[in-house]
Amino acid sequence: MDRSGLIGIVPPRYGDEVIGGAEAVLREAARGLASRGWDVEVLTTCARDHFSWDNEYPPGLSRDGDVAVRRFPTVLDTRRAERAEISAAILAGAEVDLERQQRWMNDDLRVPELWHHLLDHGTEYRALLFAPYLFWTTFAGGQVQPDRTILVPCLHDEPEAWLELFRPLFSGARGIWFLSEPEHELAHRIHGELPDHDVTGAGVDVPERYDPDGFRERHRLGDQPFLLYAGRREGGKNWEWLLSAFHRAVDAHDLPFALVTMGTGEVTPPEEIADRVIDLGFLPVEERDDAFAAATAYVQPSALESFSRTVMEAWLAGTPVVANGASEVVAWHCERSGAGLTFADEVDFGWALRYLAEQPDGARAMAKAGREYVLEHYQWDTVLDRMEVLLHEWTGPAPR
Amino acid sequence: MKVLMVTPYPPIRDGIGAYAVQEVKRLRAEGHAVTVLSPYPSAAHQHLDLRTPRGVLALAKRARAYDRVVVQYHPDVFLPLFVSPARRLATTLALCALFVVARGSEVRVHEVDYDLGRSPGPNGLATRLLWRLPSRVSVHTQAEKDRFEPSFGLRKGAVTVAEHGQHFERRTTLDRAGARRKLGLDPDAVIFLSIGFVQPHKGFDRGVQAFAGLGDAGCQLWVVGSVRIDEEAYLDYVDELEHLCRRTPGAHLKKGFLSDERFDEWIVAADVVLLPYRHIWSSSVIERAELYDRPVIASRVGGLEGQAPEGTRLVDDDIELRMAMVEVAADHGAPVGQVEAVDWPETTDRSAVQEAITAAATTERGGPPLDTARPFTGHRTGTGERDRDPVTGLQRLPPLSPPSPQSARPGAAALKKVVRRLTAWEIDPIVHHVNRLRQVTLDAVDREDDEDR
Repeated sequence: MDRSGLIGIVPPRYGDEVIGGAEAVLREAARGLASRGWDVEVLTTCARDHFSWDNEYPPGLSRDGDVAVRRFPTVLDTRRAERAEISAAILAGAEVDLERQQRWMNDDLRVPELWHHLLDHGTEYRALLFAPYLFWTTFAGGQVQPDRTILVPCLHDEPEAWLELFRPLFSGARGIWFLSEPEHELAHRIHGELPDHDVTGAGVDVPERYDPDGFRERHRLGDQPFLLYAGRREGGKNWEWLLSAFHRAVDAHDLPFALVTMGTGEVTPPEEIADRVIDLGFLPVEERDDAFAAATAYVQPSALESFSRTVMEAWLAGTPVVANGASEVVAWHCERSGAGLTFADEVDFGWALRYLAEQPDGARAMAKAGREYVLEHYQWDTVLDRMEVLLHEWTGPAPR
Repeated sequence: MKVLMVTPYPPIRDGIGAYAVQEVKRLRAEGHAVTVLSPYPSAAHQHLDLRTPRGVLALAKRARAYDRVVVQYHPDVFLPLFVSPARRLATTLALCALFVVARGSEVRVHEVDYDLGRSPGPNGLATRLLWRLPSRVSVHTQAEKDRFEPSFGLRKGAVTVAEHGQHFERRTTLDRAGARRKLGLDPDAVIFLSIGFVQPHKGFDRGVQAFAGLGDAGCQLWVVGSVRIDEEAYLDYVDELEHLCRRTPGAHLKKGFLSDERFDEWIVAADVVLLPYRHIWSSSVIERAELYDRPVIASRVGGLEGQAPEGTRLVDDDIELRMAMVEVAADHGAPVGQVEAVDWPETTDRSAVQEAITAAATTERGGPPLDTARPFTGHRTGTGERDRDPVTGLQRLPPLSPPSPQSARPGAAALKKVVRRLTAWEIDPIVHHVNRLRQVTLDAVDREDDEDR
């Protein structure tokens, strides 16, 4: 296979401390492609936090193993009042004309130096991978060199996804990589015809071993069974809903569970369950793997998932999953694997937890199918094989 | 004592009017000479258009002849729907004049915009002055008092809490069976009742949605009331509600004005009164339900928590509303809500376990899920196939309404309001026509669905 030429990978944020599904997929793809002999350069911002977009990393060139990382400063010089106003209209389902959609997109972080870098040097890249679709880096950057752009949209069925604004990004890209079949179907529902596209999926690393007992000991969790949530604790991920549903469920069914959580964002549970909600903050990768293994179940409250890496990590650890069925992607994984339970509201959620409490062995046995499912479909080797084939088919030899 | 009562008044149906009548009745019974003045021709002794500063000044002139002036205050009585800052200021100053000249002025506040008190401009100053002038200002709940005093810079204790139902009297002697007979209602059904003016903020649609599935368990939900304002948005809401009731077995919408007696008969006939308000300042329905010992399920909004009598079930969201309704239905013997234990399948087959979970949850909530874990995905403008099911897409399409004249930019909101007023004659018929088309289409699809079944 011809692996010549530079592959530019453009996530809005990049680094060890960055939490985000799309960012994680691009980082793993960058490292994986580099390890297979591709020349990979990450083009990203100096930001770590996706609310403040403060420039926390130094600009310029650095390295992350085999991967070159070129950072550009973010610019956020408005009060974002207009964006907030238009966002409210979009979320309320109001018609927002194209002009306002554009003002909405641009009244947020911008990265002019990155954009100009793509303008000046875009043709030096064999391919440019952008994710996720919603961010300015993708929206603006992905249209600078569309014939070299591979979009990894990480699309959810959210009001913004249907904005006319994104039509040129999707229709103009050289190709699109989807992480799951439901995401692929959603893209057709929204945009109709698409350019070259394929479902590559995403990969997860398979830990060599787990230490659930050590995890309980290190975090003083004792023998209390717990549910786990990992990721961003914010409204978009339905975090507040989870707290409220968990509160209701433990009350209604007299459940023994604690809710252990790790990730970023504030954790402010209702007073009545404060002693049951344990925030471990940001944990290193090995600790995260052990947390998945120690949990009674992993809960995924988010309805906006394009892949759901944490669900895969739970199944790899042999842990059952209870997930929001409103996410077509996660419901699809649960049904296809036969290893996850879904809910539509708090009542379903309560009964699913009750099942876990009363039938822990049955639930654990069910989760075994999940590990097999992940090993069969979502190991990085399989995913990278597919990505390489597509890069080879869609992009020409190295630009001179 | 010569008392002037300024209030909306029957026979126009109005919650404040109904409230004022009870107070007038009590004052007259106590021997006071009560003159009622309403803002439009009514059963009141006098009427004056109070939506102009001149009208309020005319009221001030008349007020001097009385020993006591009681004003039932609601902004709609004194201000038109869209009002300029200058007009608002003039009206507020005219009201100040009223309270300066009137002896023993008392204001019963039914609704007020607290933000005005914090406004730094002349309107803010005038509004803060206004609420210092009456001899007595009362609200109906402690929550309103706690907000009112700091909002308008009043000392703690300046505002009193008047029990909303303090003047209320029974207007029917029928018992539940008698009321049901008279109203033609099923004597054995568990009856939920939402009653009052039908308007979006009352949230009667929430009640109907939460009721889904309970009809199959022998329950009924009656939404009874009329439209107060002939605005397109309100009429569209009634259409929506009617549509929702048609699609929800056991739910009924009964439109029309009610006499006071008939209003009470409905309350007596009900097993539980349902007030799923989105927002409200206080509720006279809650008082009338208490008068007849009818339990109430109400949203925890506005001053309801402070006003609600002991035993009222206050709910914070749709799922709590649903569960409260299921509990009431179960208490009355409906086969819902009670799941003590589940025989979990002796298998690791995911479908069998999921089925058992869904069955237990369905029994507990008495119907299908409310999908509360699903975020609203809004109105779609994509280019591809919008939804697999075109009917679903149609149902998700919200009624058209002109954009709200609001803006974070200084002055823009006022400008938008002016533009809205200037273009309303042209825009509103189009909006109305589009919404009629939407409704007719939905009805046609419904009919086709029914025929297919």
